[in-house]
Amino acid sequence: MKKKMIFSNFFKTNGVIMGSILMGLVGFWLIFLIVLPQLSMLDYSFRFNLPPADVGGPKDVYTLSNYQFLIYGSDDTHQTYNSVDLKVFVRTIIAAMMVTIFNILLCYPLAYFLGQSKGSAFVRLLVVLLIIPYWINEILRAFALRIIFGDSGLLNETLMFLHLTSEPIDFIRHDVALYAGLGYAYILLMLFPMYNVIESLDRNQIEAARDMGASWVKIHRRIVIPHAKPGIASGATMVFMLSAGALAAPQILGGPSSLWFTQLVYQWFNDSLNWQQGAAYAIVLLVSTITIVLTVMRIFKVNMGDIGK
Amino acid sequence: MSSGVAVNLEDIWIRFGDFVAVRDANVNINGGDFFSFLGPSGCGKTTILRAVSGFLDPSEGRVLIGGKDMAGIGPNKRPTALIFQNLALFPLMKVWENISFSMEVAGIGAKERRKRADELLDMIALEGQGDKLPSELSGGQKQRVAIARALCANPDVLLLDEPLSALDLKLRQHMRTELREIQKRVGITFIYITHDQGEALTMSDNVAVMKAGVIDQIDSGHNIYDHPATPFVASFVGENNVFRGKIKSINGNEAIVSTNRSGDLLSRIAPAQLGNLNVGDDAMMFIRPEVLKLGPAEESSKSTISADVMNEEFEGNTFSVFLEGDGGKSIKMSVPNAGQDHISSRGENLSLHYDPSNAVVMPAGELASE
Amino acid sequence: MKSDSLIRIALGAYLLIFFSYLLGPLVVMSLTAFNSSSFPSVSPWACFTFEWFDVLFNDRHIREGIYYSIIIGIGTVILSVSMGLAASIVLTQVWPRLRSTYYTMIIAPILIPGVVLGISTLVFWDRLGGFLGATEGSVLHGLFHNGLFLTILGQSSFIASYAMLVFVARLQRFDTGLTEAALDLGATHTQAFRKILLPFMRPAIASAAVLAFLASFENYNTTTFTIIDYKTLTTVLAQKVRLGINPSISSLAFIIIVLTIFAALTLEATQSHKRRREAVAQGRMKPAGKSILPSFMRGNIAAIICVLLAFVVIFMVTTAQSYSPEMCKAEVREARQLEIQERIEALNAARAEREATEEPTSTVTDEQAPASSGAFGGVFDPGNLSTDTAEPEAETTAPAGGSGAFGNAFDPGNLETED
Repeated sequence: MKKKMIFSNFFKTNGVIMGSILMGLVGFWLIFLIVLPQLSMLDYSFRFNLPPADVGGPKDVYTLSNYQFLIYGSDDTHQTYNSVDLKVFVRTIIAAMMVTIFNILLCYPLAYFLGQSKGSAFVRLLVVLLIIPYWINEILRAFALRIIFGDSGLLNETLMFLHLTSEPIDFIRHDVALYAGLGYAYILLMLFPMYNVIESLDRNQIEAARDMGASWVKIHRRIVIPHAKPGIASGATMVFMLSAGALAAPQILGGPSSLWFTQLVYQWFNDSLNWQQGAAYAIVLLVSTITIVLTVMRIFKVNMGDIGK
Repeated sequence: MSSGVAVNLEDIWIRFGDFVAVRDANVNINGGDFFSFLGPSGCGKTTILRAVSGFLDPSEGRVLIGGKDMAGIGPNKRPTALIFQNLALFPLMKVWENISFSMEVAGIGAKERRKRADELLDMIALEGQGDKLPSELSGGQKQRVAIARALCANPDVLLLDEPLSALDLKLRQHMRTELREIQKRVGITFIYITHDQGEALTMSDNVAVMKAGVIDQIDSGHNIYDHPATPFVASFVGENNVFRGKIKSINGNEAIVSTNRSGDLLSRIAPAQLGNLNVGDDAMMFIRPEVLKLGPAEESSKSTISADVMNEEFEGNTFSVFLEGDGGKSIKMSVPNAGQDHISSRGENLSLHYDPSNAVVMPAGELASE
Repeated sequence: MKSDSLIRIALGAYLLIFFSYLLGPLVVMSLTAFNSSSFPSVSPWACFTFEWFDVLFNDRHIREGIYYSIIIGIGTVILSVSMGLAASIVLTQVWPRLRSTYYTMIIAPILIPGVVLGISTLVFWDRLGGFLGATEGSVLHGLFHNGLFLTILGQSSFIASYAMLVFVARLQRFDTGLTEAALDLGATHTQAFRKILLPFMRPAIASAAVLAFLASFENYNTTTFTIIDYKTLTTVLAQKVRLGINPSISSLAFIIIVLTIFAALTLEATQSHKRRREAVAQGRMKPAGKSILPSFMRGNIAAIICVLLAFVVIFMVTTAQSYSPEMCKAEVREARQLEIQERIEALNAARAEREATEEPTSTVTDEQAPASSGAFGGVFDPGNLSTDTAEPEAETTAPAGGSGAFGNAFDPGNLETED
């Protein structure tokens, strides 16, 4: 009854034609591009990888085996753990967190500087400089870092020229390049939300606090950071999700022996052609990252509505 | 000019979920009338206007325009034009495009539209301003453009939702006269929404006073002021001293009220409430400040109130004297300025007289909150 | 006073570090586009050359990739902008108690990892095809397994959220009274939308479209799953970068960087021109006096830089037609040959020594050699390869150079053994 009223109101305010177009577009997006694909992926992750002939047949039943594989590997007795994949998973999550924290620390001073010295031509120039790398392809940015971190890259050449090292350091094998690349790739998604909220902070608040004798640390802890919290949360969420879900940077900058979890997903899909297993891994990635984000948001008391501002 | 089209609201109820915005409204507006809905903000008057213009459907009841039931007819198909509180001029269109928008959507060519827009611009004394953007006009000019835009649609009924509230006092008073003149000239029905009683009383043929979704009284402005039907109307329209008490005796259209703090007082019974009052009922008696007169101190009757002066304010055309009657009852009296230095002095005891036919008593009820 | 200048210095150093981190790699990458060395590097600097641009323009894969990227970009812009606009309009009308749920739903795609979106799109349409009974070879099956179709849908699923955010910001300033006024004046809902809301939203639609196109153009994570047998610029690049790199990619990056700078400067220049005009109109600033510069450029640093940059690019393009690095290259080659000769001798000497002491290890180096030279095949431009046959062999024998630079070429092999 009430639902019906909502719909009739909707069509009354938008008209039948426009209302249908709006409903149709939103419905198509939500149902066919978001909800159903996610559900079908979830469904897929509980199925066996069967040859086409067996699909829909008696063998096509639900199973937990894809998830069990992540935990126990191909060991059916569940005695040993799939240490390789689990290690990749844990490493991905922890490294993504580290990248996020690194980005927060690196961006906060700049966001504060830009946000509080508004208007000047110098600041506008800095913003333009910031925007430029933002629109360079992610792969090209990773490629640029590879040129720098490679064995005969600029960094090694410089270090050797300065006689700081005699042998080239393998930055790629030690994942230095990967972490630098991930931090590099999403740094602006951290900076801009922070900059936006700090810009909206009334400068008088800081002046007033300073007037009352608050120390520099205290001003930031009690005034600037609480005000910037939605922006920091928004940026941190984006950076964490994108780093954990990154594929290009690990493929290009990752060491040969250490993998990113998305690369495992990629292999299941494109190399092993086991979509069901890949879907299960993707679900694990999705659920765990979202759980982490929601938990952290709960701890810091941030709302979903703040994201994307 | 057309003689105007009548608007009838029959048993209208409008609910939003559990909230009743309009309760059983019955209004008959004559064709060609200037009709006002007067009430404090949130009383449901704008809701009624939206029901007439078609932006929402009444939960119950019918809206008839020119005798035709409007149920299921959208705002774009009704013979009404609405002037919004914030005017809602299209900011990206020029003035003349704004005015002739109704012709544009009807598919009429640009040349003809421009001609009509220029005619209307002449009428509202904005010749040659058609190529400006609305943002380049002053408040009063925008106001007139909004009126011209609404009139361009040739509506049978023009609906105005507090259109003057954004203007400053001088301009507001000027626009009142102008609106009234335009209405007389085009001869169509105007339905006007306002919380400003001055606007309602000066412009309207008839006024409906609303309180929390209920229409308390529909009458001419004069009658609303002199013969309020309910305590709410009496206290909302103009100023009034209210005396609470019980009916002691009734004689024809007069009654003696035994007030709580000012003794027994004689009053006329509100015409709308004749027959609704019985001896012993809780009642409220209203005496307007300008009805109270100074009288000899010793005289005492059923139309005299004794009170002490608390303070006095000079308001230009009148003096306002604030008094405290016996038992702490506060009373206000207005005395026209006839060149006196002052009316009274602080602490002085005055005897206030009134003509019982200028007082009005009615069953006790809710007052307008200040 | 003293601590103040200390803060200034610290701030300056911090800004320097931040911007070198941000821009340094792009500058280095741009420079490598002009070094004739066949591996992208700035040191050692061999010869200044434009040849990598030639290689780039003659690369069929990249050309095709750009072509399909543009098609997908246009499709994504149309779909995601209209879905984002519809979703933002619905957001303003949705029942208050549903609003936060609805908002979470339409913002969620931004937070879902791109690979997950790609996979779910792929899986869903495959299954929908099966559900609708589309058999191999039927039109429906073809559509649901078409890389362009799936990529547009997959990308739109999250780019629409970005577009939606742009629209929500603009819609907040829209007075719904305007639509009602239009309806009241007799407009149909469609007319009110077209004549009132759409013109109001036009600037937001433009920025959302640009944003959507760029986001689509540079997307990799989703595309790599949904593209199937087509290719886009990013998938081609990823392929090239993973399998081995050559400076023609740097030259592509250089072109993109220059275009981006142009766009950013033009935007900044027009904005600052507008600001200035407003300031003059409000009497806060005096109009610029007579000057040799056209009025647009007066007092507008961004505009001046923009025009100067244009001259530099034109100059570069014209010199590129006539400039030939052949002389220099020949010299470098000679020097290189000598150096390689020396190194080979030194290595041979070392190997002989090692073989004498511990024989089995030699097999390992032998195994590595063919694998590396295979990886090289794709890296080198055919023209280069024919003149420089000595080089690859020399590099593979130098263990440090080979395994590092082409480390990723071994990836697939490594991965397979792990599974």
